[in-house]
Amino acid sequence: MSSSRQYSESRAIPTRTVLINDTTQLPHDYCTTPGGTLFSTTPGGTRIIYDRKFLLDRRNSPIAQTPPAHLPVIPGVTSQNVLRENKKNEANNHINNHDGKPTNGNIYGAVRCDKNVTPPV
Amino acid sequence: MKRTRKSQTVTMTTVTGPTTTTTITDGRQCVQVQVNTLSSITTPVCLPPVSLSVCRQCVQVQTVCPGAGEHPLQYNYTFWYSRRTPSRPASSQSYEQNIRQIGTVASVEQFWRFYSHLVRPGDLSGHSDFHLFKEGIKPMWEDESNRSGGKWIIRLRKGLASRFWENIILAMLGEQFMVGEEICGAVVSIRFQEDILSIWNRTSNDQMTTSRIRDTLRRVLNLPTNTIMEYKTHNDSLRDNSSFRNTKISL
Repeated sequence: MSSSRQYSESRAIPTRTVLINDTTQLPHDYCTTPGGTLFSTTPGGTRIIYDRKFLLDRRNSPIAQTPPAHLPVIPGVTSQNVLRENKKNEANNHINNHDGKPTNGNIYGAVRCDKNVTPPV
Repeated sequence: MKRTRKSQTVTMTTVTGPTTTTTITDGRQCVQVQVNTLSSITTPVCLPPVSLSVCRQCVQVQTVCPGAGEHPLQYNYTFWYSRRTPSRPASSQSYEQNIRQIGTVASVEQFWRFYSHLVRPGDLSGHSDFHLFKEGIKPMWEDESNRSGGKWIIRLRKGLASRFWENIILAMLGEQFMVGEEICGAVVSIRFQEDILSIWNRTSNDQMTTSRIRDTLRRVLNLPTNTIMEYKTHNDSLRDNSSFRNTKISL
C-alpha cells in the first residue's frame, strides 16, 4: 500500500440534456448497439446482424454491381442495367410526394399518382 | 478455449455421380454434385455452418452460397414477383401460377445485385407485388411455414412504397426483428390507390413475437405514433379469400 495518496479531481459524468416533444425526434440510433439492433440481447444465440448503414455501404462494392446470373427478363420489373436513377428518385422523394420518374412506354396502363398531395410530414 | 467442430453427416440418397467439396472462408462447405435427374443440371448444394442454430429440421440445404469475400446473411432469401390482371378473379391455383421466382441470395452483395436490377416498387404498374421470403418458404398462405402464421400490414399512400420497402427488407435481412425464426418474409403490394407493406411470421398466436415485430416495424420504418397497424392470420385470409380485408386493427 502506498503511503502517500493523491486524490484526483472528481467530476460529474458529462451529460447532455436534449429536450424532445415527440418520439419522432429520437435519434435514429437511440437505444441501439453500434452495428447491432435496438435490442440489448440476442435471444436464441449469436446471429448475423447488419444494421441499415452497413448494408447500404455494401451497395457500392464492385461485387454488388454486376448483374446476377440468370436474372429473368420481366419487362417493367427487371432490368439489365443497374438502376442508377434510384438515387435520383430518392432525392426527389424528399421534395415532392411521388416518384418523379416519368412512366415511358407503360403498356400496362396508367400508374396512379396523386398530383395534389401535401409534402411528407 | 479449445473449440471442437461438430461433425455433420448428410445422407443424400438421390445423388449419383462425382462430388467436389470446397470450403469457403467462413467455414461453410459448398458441395457441388452431379445429379442425374431428367434435366441433368449440376446443382450446387451448400451445407450450413455447423454453429448455426437455425433449422428445426436436421439439415437446411441451401442452393446458393455466399461468394468469397461476401458478407453472408443469416438466412437465404428468394425474390418473387407476382401480378394480377384485374379482370381475372383471384383463386389459389391462379395465384400459384401468377407468382414467379426472380432469384435467391445468400449474401449482402448478392442481395444488392438483384435489388439494383429490379424496378423500384413505386414504379411498378397495375396490381403487382414484390415478395422477399426465406428460401424454401413460398409466399402463399398454404405453405407449411405459413399455415399457423399471420402478417402485419401497413397501408401507405402513394409515393412511399419504394422507400419503405427498402427499409423493411434491409431490417429483415439484417436480423433486426430478433424473433428467432419467426419471420417468413415481406411483401410490398402495389394497388389502385394505396400501397401495402406486409411482414409475415410463422405463429400468429404468439403475442410476444407479434408485439416485437410491431415495435421493430415502428422503429425501423419511423412510423408516426398514430399509424394504424393491422394484423391478419393467414387462416382468416384463406377463409375470406382476401389479403387485406377484415384485419385486426392495432394502434
